[in-house]
Amino acid sequence: MGESKKMISSVEWEKKLNDVKIQKEDMNRLVMNFFVTEGYVEAAEKFQRESGTETGIDLGTIIDRMAVKKAVQCGNVEDAIVKVNDLNPEILDTNPQLFFHLQQQRLIELIRNGKTEEALEFAQEELAPRGEEDQGFLEELERTVSLLAFEDVANCPVGELLDISQRLKTASEVNAAILTSQSHEKEPKIPTLLKMLIWAQRELDQKAIYPRINDLSTAMLEESAV
Amino acid sequence: MSAATNRTATAGNLSNNGNTTNQQDPASYFLALARQGSPPPEGLTGGADEEYEREDVPTELNTINSSGGFVVVSTDKLSVKYTNVNLHGHDVGAVQANKPAPVKRLVYYFEMYVKNAGARGQFAIGFTNETFKMRRQPGWEANTCGYHGDDGHLYHGHGKGQPFGPTFTTNDTVGAGINYGSQEFFFTKNGAIVGAVKKEITGALFPTVAVHSQNEEIEVNFGQKQFAFDIKASCSFFSSLPCFCWINLSVCMMTFEYERLERMKQHLRIDKTPLSPNASYKLVRSYLLHYGYEETLNSFELATKNTVPPISMSQENGSDVQDIMYALNQRRELRQLIRNGEIDAAINKIRQWFPQILEPDYLLQDDKSATCFLLHCQKFIELVRVGELEEAVNYGRMELAKFFELPGYNDLVQDCVALLAYEEPLQSAVGYLLEGTQRETVADTVNAMVLLTNPNVKDLQGCLQSYLERVVRQLTVCCLEKRSLSGNQGECFSLRRALNSNYNAKGS
Repeated sequence: MGESKKMISSVEWEKKLNDVKIQKEDMNRLVMNFFVTEGYVEAAEKFQRESGTETGIDLGTIIDRMAVKKAVQCGNVEDAIVKVNDLNPEILDTNPQLFFHLQQQRLIELIRNGKTEEALEFAQEELAPRGEEDQGFLEELERTVSLLAFEDVANCPVGELLDISQRLKTASEVNAAILTSQSHEKEPKIPTLLKMLIWAQRELDQKAIYPRINDLSTAMLEESAV
Repeated sequence: MSAATNRTATAGNLSNNGNTTNQQDPASYFLALARQGSPPPEGLTGGADEEYEREDVPTELNTINSSGGFVVVSTDKLSVKYTNVNLHGHDVGAVQANKPAPVKRLVYYFEMYVKNAGARGQFAIGFTNETFKMRRQPGWEANTCGYHGDDGHLYHGHGKGQPFGPTFTTNDTVGAGINYGSQEFFFTKNGAIVGAVKKEITGALFPTVAVHSQNEEIEVNFGQKQFAFDIKASCSFFSSLPCFCWINLSVCMMTFEYERLERMKQHLRIDKTPLSPNASYKLVRSYLLHYGYEETLNSFELATKNTVPPISMSQENGSDVQDIMYALNQRRELRQLIRNGEIDAAINKIRQWFPQILEPDYLLQDDKSATCFLLHCQKFIELVRVGELEEAVNYGRMELAKFFELPGYNDLVQDCVALLAYEEPLQSAVGYLLEGTQRETVADTVNAMVLLTNPNVKDLQGCLQSYLERVVRQLTVCCLEKRSLSGNQGECFSLRRALNSNYNAKGS
């Protein structure tokens, strides 16, 4: 079994909770960080006005970033690439994997629109050279090109490439790369804090019995079964 | 409403003097908050760095227990010289720091600079426990650890050491540290990591240096000067193995903060935890609703509906969730007025919309309304801010005097009144009252009290704190408790530090 766990009563636990000093402005910063990193420019502006919290970043850069993300999400990859290079040409230069995924997405979109000849040409000229440099790229390339082999693309083994989730994945990747290039974090802090809470409670479960938060969206404390 | 029967009604714990007559007044929670800005008593750093606040740190060498007769410690207690002629293994000149290494942090580190290698260069740096005999080299005795300059070996509790790193001599700077995250000792030479060993010694550990041949002389650095090994900004890359491993010296040298890298390792582990995708969105939305940030909320809701794919933020079981859309528009307006310092206008609106929260006996047995009190204090502060001192005095006599001497209220009254005494109140100890955060606290108080007027309210605590805040508190307490149940060493969660840190490093 293990050693017996420490029992902490609700009353004791509530007291510990209330002893923690939290500054309102820090909570506001958490929320602002969320808006800014996820790209909700207008919400960030309104929040700055309503709460007096600084955005901490030039909102113009968010607008640019969101335009790139949106372009990829809508399948306008060429447009996205132009925009990324306008923002910062180094991003694609220093991110071969990202660049490959963007090119791959372009290929997928060509295939989706039935432009078979153009797709093959594009694959041979733009993607094949990259495939030669890197085994992983080559495999991805082959997977993508194999879409052309099927009549019923939606149900073929690589059909997921045509799914919107593929676009979202690529969009996320480019979003993260832009944030990184701006020395900003890739993810907002709130999801990280939530993961830390799940992890911390799991770790503490091994040593103590105490009121837990089991539903993150309401943050209600629940007594643990003994 | 019966606040008394609600298990989560812990307002009684919250008034700053533990005053039981405020047992049921939720606003007393804010009375404590209203003084949160005041500077803490001497000796404490307070605020977000609480884990540092109660620990002493080494600042100089301990001359009282050092092996007298073999060494001379300088008057500034930061240098040691071996004056004797060493004859055997029990005439080492070892010196400990005046305090043990602090434990409530991720890493502790100090350095030693060799001024003179003397006859044989037999110096050492490391950590020793309280009962260590100062006539021995650190590492030769149980519960001690030392990196020795003459052979570059690491000694970890016996007279026989193991090959560890390079030797070191005149003009070299060596460092020794404890990594509480991985529970290891680590050592550096001239700004680069040499290696690390698992720390199995428990209890207080004193930074220790030693000299052992004639004319050896070394200088210590407990942080009063910049370190050669930039603990905050350069190190070699560590592979992200779980805790309790030997740190591998990788061929690849990148610049990372040593501490930050350690945190990154933990971060990577935590990052793999599965999380429901919209949890963050729901918490942000409920935060905005809670505090009445109406315009932000509308903008946010619109934007999330238009994202690809649209994000749903409504609660699954709507019936269990508090109706925090209650009085959203009015709360927004009240917050705006208070944030602008328009206290009279705010009070008028409250009288118009929610007169009951200004009534003295609302929810209480005693006859004072903390909400009223905080609003009056703020009005007083606003008068002082614009220099209307005479009017402030009159106002104070009218509205604040009756709270004088009352436990829970007295401290704040005194601080307010003290504002009158200074020509430059902002520079004084009560200057915090003039900061924007004070208005914010009053706005939050009014907001909470309005939420409580909702006849459908079920959760008292939910009116005082947003769900997001509850999450942060729970996280903090879980970490604190976990630490205290595991030897009380290492770092704890701090929101301020999490906000200021950036796990994103170039090249990662």
